[in-house]
Amino acid sequence: MEFKRLKEWKDKLHVCIRCGYCYEHCHIFKITNWESDTPRGKLILLYALLHEEIEPTDYMANKIFECFNCGRCDASCSAKVPVTDIFTDVRADFIDGGFDVKGTLSHINEDLCSKCGICVSICKYEARTLDKEQNKIIIDKVKCRSCGGCEAACPSGAAYIEEGYMVSEKELLEQVQCYLGGK
Amino acid sequence: MGLVGIERLKGILGDENVKTDLADLYVYGSDASVHEALPWVVVRPHTIEDVQNIMRYANPRLIPVVARGAGSGMSGQAVPSKGGIVMDLKRMNKILEINLEDTYVRVEPGVVDDDLNRALKSHNVFYPPTPASSRIATIGGEIANNASGVRSVKYGAVRDSILGMKVVMANGDLINLGAKTRVEATGYQLDRLMVGSEGTLGIIVEATLKFVPIPKYRCMGIAKFNKLEDAGNAISEIMSSGINLSMLELMDNVAIKAVNQAQNLGLPDVEAILMFEADGMVKEGVDIEVKKMMESCKKHKGFGIELSYDAKERTRIFSGRKKLFPALSQFKEYYSCTSLADDMAVPYSKMAETAQKIHEIAKRNNVIMTAYGHCGSGCMHTKILMDTRKKSQWEDAKRAVFEIYEYVRSIGGTTSAEHGIGISKAPAFKREKSDSLNLMRAVKKAFDPNNILNPGKLMDAPDDWVTATSLRYRLDEKDMK
Repeated sequence: MEFKRLKEWKDKLHVCIRCGYCYEHCHIFKITNWESDTPRGKLILLYALLHEEIEPTDYMANKIFECFNCGRCDASCSAKVPVTDIFTDVRADFIDGGFDVKGTLSHINEDLCSKCGICVSICKYEARTLDKEQNKIIIDKVKCRSCGGCEAACPSGAAYIEEGYMVSEKELLEQVQCYLGGK
Repeated sequence: MGLVGIERLKGILGDENVKTDLADLYVYGSDASVHEALPWVVVRPHTIEDVQNIMRYANPRLIPVVARGAGSGMSGQAVPSKGGIVMDLKRMNKILEINLEDTYVRVEPGVVDDDLNRALKSHNVFYPPTPASSRIATIGGEIANNASGVRSVKYGAVRDSILGMKVVMANGDLINLGAKTRVEATGYQLDRLMVGSEGTLGIIVEATLKFVPIPKYRCMGIAKFNKLEDAGNAISEIMSSGINLSMLELMDNVAIKAVNQAQNLGLPDVEAILMFEADGMVKEGVDIEVKKMMESCKKHKGFGIELSYDAKERTRIFSGRKKLFPALSQFKEYYSCTSLADDMAVPYSKMAETAQKIHEIAKRNNVIMTAYGHCGSGCMHTKILMDTRKKSQWEDAKRAVFEIYEYVRSIGGTTSAEHGIGISKAPAFKREKSDSLNLMRAVKKAFDPNNILNPGKLMDAPDDWVTATSLRYRLDEKDMK
């Protein structure tokens, strides 16, 4: 598989000093606590991919799609590596390479979806479109920023964010209840 | 280590705490140094018993075990150069006890420095070593490297804040070292021996640390010097005059230019800047320290002195120093900022001369180097900026590193002030400590007879740091031919 877009970032990947400051505020790292889920860890993987030292796998592709694009890693990078821009481009490479990923992306439950298009109009990243021919909502996995706006707006509960990262509506409610002493 | 071994580790820790995917191994094979090497497996203990069980499994099978905190070390301490198990201790991150009456705090090794200080702040006390990486650095890693930071001039390094610790030995035994009291003369100070041992003697699984009151007043200042030599003379006088500063930082002209270029801070184009801070519970006391400091700077032709007690203004004054590391990383296109020969300590009287020598050596060897650091504690930081894609630059860097350490040793300095030895600094360390290496090896053998704890580091590291492990930078193929 060719990482066309990743190759454009070769020099930026080279100047990463691997200090680790990028993972101080990383939400994914806070959840899993594994270094391979940190921005630094992902940049190390991309460096290895770029130099063809490891083969791309579903496991790796999913890691690159596990990100809420908060940008804290960009802000805290010692070497000013544009971390989230690199991840966005590599996601496109993975999609071109035919990888089917879940990551932290938003999804749609076809059984519940009424194709009202509300999620399309509220998505500020233009990640959702209504395909009238197929009569279904199409999600652009590269554009989706996992903000959860679609999940909050969907009147029929069809749009949802991948669970397990403590940000889905259900998980947030559980946390609030826990904080208020309900559970 | 085969599948059976992995299953045993999963049996001890649970499937979710053992990683064997190549992607994970790759990530855990490097830190902030120039080195990398693949581990065989990554494990994550949650309790002291977990650590003991891992060691009981690894020791009789001679499997190397490398303890890992944040992986922010700059000398390759956490790089598993002999493979084996990387033990990620970040999940052992509980603050176990804050004892205000007896002024100590007990923590697990994975507690992050800044998190500890956030917890202590509500009690108006703080744990002072605080290296620049305190946002991610774990207490276990700080102890293992004897870290320190900008305020070490007044509050000392990590070793000065340690009261005691619990350590899991290579065979899985748990031992208690030190005490909870401020003083202890009860035999060998083995807790001190663990400080700076870089994971080669045991796994630190709990630490008892002392804390101090947060000072009520802090005053920060900056002074400019047209001659580096004048700044050096000012440092010597300040440090020998009895002024009890809480911070004294030096930035040379390359550092100033880097900050101006990257951050546009408008720092003056002078040969050197000194940044200083005094703190205390009584304002008059701080005033006296600052006044003396200004007098010393003026006496040695320091000018443009600015002072402030205001927190925002202090942040502004210090921002140049704070932004130096990112600035160096962007100093020249295609150049990487490598942590080589990066933290020696030299006598106060030699600070200016050392800075000049660094520039001389850098020029002679076709690399860019800067001189900055916690000059109040004699710590001179440098970074080697070079095109890491070129093989010839690594040869240049190797020569520069050798020459710098030879010079540092000749003036009575030491190889590392606070970043530790690991792999990169081992050749210089071995030359500096040549008369005690056998004793160190005997100590290591007493603690770890099977040599499984972070093997291949310190006195057992190879004599050539460039070929000791794979370099984390890939060379440009054209240049390799």
